[in-house]
Amino acid sequence: MTAALLLSTLTLLLPLKDTLLTEVTVTALKEPIPARQIAAPLTRLDSPELATQGIYRHNALSSRIPALHIPDYGASLTSTVYFRGLGSRMENPVIGLYIDGIPVLDKNAYDFDWVGVRSATMLHGPQGTLYGRNTMGGVLSLSTLSPSSGEGPSLYAEYGTANTCRLGASFITGNHAFSVGMRHTDGYFGNDFKGRPCDSYDGLSLRWKWEKSPGSDTQITHVMSASISREGGFAYGLYQEGRQYPVAYNDEGSYRRLSVIEGMIVHRRTESAQADLSGSLQLLNDDMHMDQDFTPASVFTLRQQQLSGAATLELNLRRTDRQASWQPLTGFFAFYRLNSLSAPVLFKRDGIESLILDNANSHIPGDIGYLTISDQEMPVTSDFLLGSWNVALFHESVFHFGTWHLTAGLRLDYEGGRMDYDCLSTLHYRFIPTMTADKPFSVTYRGNTVHSGLVALPKLTVMYDVSDRTGLYTNISKGYRAGGFNTQIFSDILQTMMMNGLMRDLGVYLDRPFSSVTASSTEYAPESAWNAEAGLRYRDTHVGLEASVYYMAVRNQQLTVFPAGQSTGRMMTNAGRSRSLGTEIQMRWRTDSFHSRLSWSYCDARFVRYNDGNADYAGKHVPYIPSHTLFLGAGYRLPLEGCSLTADAGLRANGPLWWNESNTLSEPMRLFLDGRLALVFLRWEMYLRGENLTDTQARSFYFRSVGKDFFASCKPRMMTLGISVKL
Amino acid sequence: MKARILLIALAVLAFVSCKEKELTPLEPETANYLGTVTVVYNDSSFDNDSIEVAFNPSEDGLSGSVTIYKIRFVPQMPVTIDVTVPNLAMAATPEKIVLSCEQVVPLAMGGEFPRYTVTDFRGEIVGKELSFSLNFGDYPTSFRGSRLIE
Repeated sequence: MTAALLLSTLTLLLPLKDTLLTEVTVTALKEPIPARQIAAPLTRLDSPELATQGIYRHNALSSRIPALHIPDYGASLTSTVYFRGLGSRMENPVIGLYIDGIPVLDKNAYDFDWVGVRSATMLHGPQGTLYGRNTMGGVLSLSTLSPSSGEGPSLYAEYGTANTCRLGASFITGNHAFSVGMRHTDGYFGNDFKGRPCDSYDGLSLRWKWEKSPGSDTQITHVMSASISREGGFAYGLYQEGRQYPVAYNDEGSYRRLSVIEGMIVHRRTESAQADLSGSLQLLNDDMHMDQDFTPASVFTLRQQQLSGAATLELNLRRTDRQASWQPLTGFFAFYRLNSLSAPVLFKRDGIESLILDNANSHIPGDIGYLTISDQEMPVTSDFLLGSWNVALFHESVFHFGTWHLTAGLRLDYEGGRMDYDCLSTLHYRFIPTMTADKPFSVTYRGNTVHSGLVALPKLTVMYDVSDRTGLYTNISKGYRAGGFNTQIFSDILQTMMMNGLMRDLGVYLDRPFSSVTASSTEYAPESAWNAEAGLRYRDTHVGLEASVYYMAVRNQQLTVFPAGQSTGRMMTNAGRSRSLGTEIQMRWRTDSFHSRLSWSYCDARFVRYNDGNADYAGKHVPYIPSHTLFLGAGYRLPLEGCSLTADAGLRANGPLWWNESNTLSEPMRLFLDGRLALVFLRWEMYLRGENLTDTQARSFYFRSVGKDFFASCKPRMMTLGISVKL
Repeated sequence: MKARILLIALAVLAFVSCKEKELTPLEPETANYLGTVTVVYNDSSFDNDSIEVAFNPSEDGLSGSVTIYKIRFVPQMPVTIDVTVPNLAMAATPEKIVLSCEQVVPLAMGGEFPRYTVTDFRGEIVGKELSFSLNFGDYPTSFRGSRLIE
C-alpha cells in the first residue's frame, strides 16, 4: 500500500524508464554530512563483525556499544534499552530504531532476529532535532542487504546449547534482495513447577528489499520485513530473605507476535537539491499470557493482546552539492498510530483469598462479621484504544568554515495521544453472618483521557579538524521521550473500586478507604534531556579512536514503579530530575591478521530531585543503569594451507547497577567471556562459538509484584557450532 | 334577627372548621434528617455528629423504618456502618408522628443483624424534627436531628 502510494506520487514526478541499477550506499542516517563529520560519538559494526560475534538481536549490542545496556530477559516484547542513565522497562524507548531509513515506532517490535542486516550504526546522545521523539539516548540505524551490493547467495546453519538452531539464507535476484531466517530453542531456564524449560522460542523472519533507478536522478527503495514468533519466557524467580529461588510458576507464560513493516523511500536528485520521501505502514499483532504472581499458587494472570497499526511519512530536502560550505537539511515528519489493547487480568482463587478477601477482612472487625466471595475466578477486563500522533518540522544547517564545522538545528514536534478505556469486573459476595445468599456485584470504569503538547528540540554543534585524521567536537542538544498512558495499572484501579464499591454496597465504610491511582493520574508526562558533550575522533587505516565526556540533565525522568502494598500493577511515573555524567571510549586496531576493539563507558546517573511521597531519593543512583560497560575483543587469523584459522575472544562486562530507587538492592560488576574458533575456506567456514564461557551467574532484571521481589538471571554458558557459506 | 342568624352561622362554621383541623392526622412522608447520634458506652456518652437518618413510612401508613447512615457504636470502631431499624409501629396525630417498637432485629451489612437487636424504640417526628431513642444491643442510643432540605 505504501509502495502504491509513493509510486503514484513518483509517477507524477517523472516518466519511469529502466536504467541500470546503480549501487547506492543505503544509510538511515539523515545527517547532511559524512559520518566522520558528525559531532557526536558514533559506533558502527559491519557485517563480518556482526557474524563473528554472533550478533543477531539488539541485545547483543550491549556493552559492545559503550553505555548501551539491553538486558536479555522476559520475551521479545520486553526490549528494555538503557543508555546514558536513561531508560525504563515499559512504554517508550530512549533510543530510536531505524531500519533502512524507516523508523520502527513500536518498542514491542524492537527485538527481532536480524536477517540480512549488513551494518548497525549508533549515534550517541540526543538526536531529537533530526530524528524526533524517543531518540533522547541516541539512534540505532540498521542497514540491510541491498540488491545493488552484488553479493552472492549466502547460507548459515547453527546448532547449540538448549537445542538452539538457527538457519538462514540471503540472495539477490535482479532488483530484489531476500533474506530469511529461523530460530528455535528449547529454552535456557527451567520452570521447576512444570518440570520443563519456560523460555522456548520459535521464530521466522523475512526481509525483502527492492530497488529501482527509473532514471539516473531517481532511486526507489521498497523494504518489507516480517517476523513471526511463538515464545515462552518470563523466567523470573522469587527472591526472599537474601535467597534466590528457581523459576516456579503454575500458569501459562507465553508470547506470540506478528510484526510487519513495509516502507518505501523515493530519492530524487536535481542539480541543486535532492529529496527523500519515505513512508511506512507498520503492523503489530501480539498475544501475551503471563502468570503475574510467578509462584506455584493460582493468584492472578494477565493476557495482553494488541493489534497496532501505524503509518509514517517523512520528507527530507537537502542540497545536492556536498562540497558547498552550507549544507542545509529541512524536513517534515508525521505519524499516526492506533493500538487496540485488551489486557484482562484474571484473579484466581488464591488471589481472591490473599489479595481481596484478606485485604478487605483485615479492615472489618471480626465481631461484626467477614466477607466471602464464592467465585473461583474473578475477571477484570480492561480494553483500551490508544491513539498517538506526531507532526514535526525540522531544519538543520551545517556550515563549513575551513577546518571548522558548525551545525545548528531546530525541530518542532507536536505530539498527542488519546486513551479510551473500558474496564469491567464482576463477582458474587456474601457477608457472614448477615447475608444468607451470594449477591452479584459489578464495577465498570469507562472514559477517555487526552493529552497533547508542543516540543522544541534545538541542537548546536561545533567540530574542528585538527588534522585529516583527527577531529574535536562539542555539542549541546535536547531530546525527549513521549509521554503516555499507564494501562498496566487499571487492574489495580478496578480492584480498588471493587473493594470500595463492595463495602458501600454492604453499608460499611472504612476510615481509610482502599486507595489507588485514578485514570486521570495514569497519564505520564514526556521526559526531556539536555546533553552537553565534548569529544575526540581519530581515524586512520588501522586505528580508530573515539572518546567523549558528557553531562546530561534530565527532567521528568520516566521510571517504572510498583505502587506500594499488595498492588498487582506497575506504572510509569515522572521522577523529578536526574543527571548523568559520563565518558565513553571506543578504540579499534586492525591489521591484516589481527583486529581488536575496546568499548568502555562510565556513567554516573543519579536523581537530583525525586520524592515519591514516601521517600526522598535525591543523590541515589538511577536504577537499572550500569555504572560501567566494557567490551574488550580481539581476533587473530592464522593462514593455513588452503584455508585459515581464526580465533576471537571477547570480554563483556557491566555494572555495578542498582535495582531500586532506594539503592538497597544492587548487582556488582559481572564479567562474561565469549570466544570463537573458525576454520575459514574461500567460500565457507565452520565455527564454534561460545558465550558466557565462564558460566557467570548474574541477574538481568528485577521487579516487584504483590509485595514480593523477583529476579531474572542472565543466560548461562552457550556453545554453538555453525557453518556459513558464501557463494 | 338577621344579625343573630348570621352570628349563629359564623359560630357554627368556626366550630366545624376547628373540629376538622384538630382531627386530621399528619401525613407521614419519606424524608432525611441530619443530626447527632449519641451512644452510651461504658457509662459515658459518645456523639456521632452530622449523621444522616432516613425515615421511610410504609405504603399503608401503619409502619415505618429508620436507616441510620455511617454510625459508629464505639469510638474504637474502625468502620462505620449503615443500620436500618424496620417494622416500627407508626401512629400519626395532627401534631406529630409517633414511632415505637418493643423489639426488632435491625438490618445491616446485607441482612439481619441480631447482635445489635433493637429494644425499646421510642421516637417522634414533630414538625421538621426527628428524635428517637433505642437500645442497640447493650448500647442505649438516641438521635435528634432536623429535616434536610430536598
